[in-house]
Amino acid sequence: MIDALARLSADRPALLWLLPLALLPLLTSAQRRVPVAAIAAVPADGPSRAIGVLVRGAGIVAIAGLILALAGPYRRGETLTRTGIGAQVSILIDRSGSMNETFAGRQPSGIEESKAAASRRLLAAFVGSRAHDQFAVTAFSTAPMLVVPMTDRHAAVRAAIAAIDRPGLDYTNIARGLAMGLSQFGPASPATSRALLLVSDGAAVIDPRVQDTLRAAFARLHPNLYWLFLRTKGSPSIADRPAGEDTPQAAPERHLDLFFKSLRTPYRAFEAEGAEAVAEAIAQIERLERDPIPYTEQRPRRDLAGFAYAASLVGLVVLVAAKLGEADLRRSGLPAAQSLAIASAPARRAA
Amino acid sequence: MTLAGLVLRNLSDGRLRLLAGALVLVAMALVARPFPFARHGVAILAIVDITGSMNVRDYVGADGMPASRLDTAKAALRDLVAGLPCGSQVALGLFTERRPFLLFTPIETCSGFAPIDGALAALDWRMAWEGDSRISAGLFRSLAMAEELGTDLVFITDGQEAPPLPSRGGPAFDGRPGAVRGLIVGAGAPSLSPIPRYDDRGRETGFYGAGDVQQENRFGPPPADAEHREGYNPRNAPFGAAAASGTEHLSSVREAYLRTLAGETGLTYAPLDGSTGLGAALMAAATPRPVPGRFDPRPVLGAAALLLLLATFLAPLLRTRGIPTWKKA
Repeated sequence: MIDALARLSADRPALLWLLPLALLPLLTSAQRRVPVAAIAAVPADGPSRAIGVLVRGAGIVAIAGLILALAGPYRRGETLTRTGIGAQVSILIDRSGSMNETFAGRQPSGIEESKAAASRRLLAAFVGSRAHDQFAVTAFSTAPMLVVPMTDRHAAVRAAIAAIDRPGLDYTNIARGLAMGLSQFGPASPATSRALLLVSDGAAVIDPRVQDTLRAAFARLHPNLYWLFLRTKGSPSIADRPAGEDTPQAAPERHLDLFFKSLRTPYRAFEAEGAEAVAEAIAQIERLERDPIPYTEQRPRRDLAGFAYAASLVGLVVLVAAKLGEADLRRSGLPAAQSLAIASAPARRAA
Repeated sequence: MTLAGLVLRNLSDGRLRLLAGALVLVAMALVARPFPFARHGVAILAIVDITGSMNVRDYVGADGMPASRLDTAKAALRDLVAGLPCGSQVALGLFTERRPFLLFTPIETCSGFAPIDGALAALDWRMAWEGDSRISAGLFRSLAMAEELGTDLVFITDGQEAPPLPSRGGPAFDGRPGAVRGLIVGAGAPSLSPIPRYDDRGRETGFYGAGDVQQENRFGPPPADAEHREGYNPRNAPFGAAAASGTEHLSSVREAYLRTLAGETGLTYAPLDGSTGLGAALMAAATPRPVPGRFDPRPVLGAAALLLLLATFLAPLLRTRGIPTWKKA
């Protein structure tokens, strides 16, 4: 009950200062004033008194109801936390220049689709396929860029994904991108399923000094890590050992994969050489990320002005009825008690 | 006298008419539903300059401390987005080097306010991918991007080109002036301020000195007055013998330059006066786009009914004090 009262609020609470005006019917009346020589000459009459009180009360209700209605009363909506199926997904997208080439490593022409356009199309379908997923989007090239923070507004996430097939920037600085992608998770209950989805068409050397920082962040947040590697035809695969020395500089993809495997966090790499393979990988990720996630639901606020207008209407109906039934003693010449309505006017003077 | 006669006589009473009017108005308010009508919203692409000179602290923040141009621009954009009518669309991009980088395509501002706000708060000079600041090139490409997205443009910059423009001026605008409407927002104070300098780990280490930046653009042909410079030699020293000096290491808002750019491209120039006030300038400059709005007629009906009702009750009070009302007592 107290909770229900605490949720009452008004759009224009300042108007409530007008409420004392509702006491006007106690000072004055809408009825005609009828001179009576001596009020004591009329016997005390119960029904007349009752009608007097009723008409005054109706006036108060009519004015107060209108003022309340004008103040715009409503009951506040509430935010409910429920549990659904979904995950927090931090999408980390490579925006380096090569993402604008096709899977064959050429500039797209005709019906060919660039890697960025393919991932844009398929990721947009992924976002919003389940109502309770939350997404964050980070882009990276030379520097990481926070595009959209963790949100359940899927339209906004799709708008961010719609921007990824625009001309990319320069280089692939994957370490800083990973750090920002991880920072997007923020505080959430430990039970929430988290996934970091890295979409890139290449890899870069992660500075050994940064590796430890990243390891610590992965150990703390423990996200499921997915690497969607958009491999250009002819370029080395994740698994390929270089012919010469096996150093991170010679085979960055292989060593990034090794680094991810050493993180002791659930990790899967998907090597996609075409749009179909990307679609297949995204479908797999969707199947894997099926855990309960708390989400908030907004119950809308409820407008209460209608009730105030209804109360005011009831008061007005009584006032109008009282006016219609008004009669003067002098002119009608009828005894005061003959009709209740006729009696009301003098009785109210007496009261 | 019959009851019908009574009612007929009472119908001519002024106060009854007032009460009946109030009754009708309240009854209408009870059944009235909000009706839809089109409001004027906007669709904008906001491009924020995140180059080094935007770190200059020549604004005063809400707490009285100096605030950087970038922080002030972010606060102003937040204020702008929060004040737009629901149904308006905002896309956000960054500018550095010579081109804009689109973060997201237009998002509806009411349902998407939280993500837009988060993205604005996260804007940082560290997102920059290169250090140059070729404003005119960035502006022209931003205009093309806005045209492609079908939005208006809000381009926030201080107008300081780095490297400085050559003597023959910047690139010419080859688009159609006025094809995209919108604002060029000049960030910064009119007086010169030092530009903070950061090391490669992002820590502030002081300010730029006169020798740290390029003071004069010496690519291309020399300016017309070069032959009057000391040590001028057409072949060996076409820009004179002295090292270039100037105030390029300090920064102020280049209002005249931005106004020229605005005139060239058909945009409107608006200065950034603190963290509020962009809304009115934008509404005046942007293309109005119809967005669905709702008008609730109930407060109008209710207020009229209340006035009639109060008049009914106040009339006898006024009349007893000799203040004339609609009829003699």
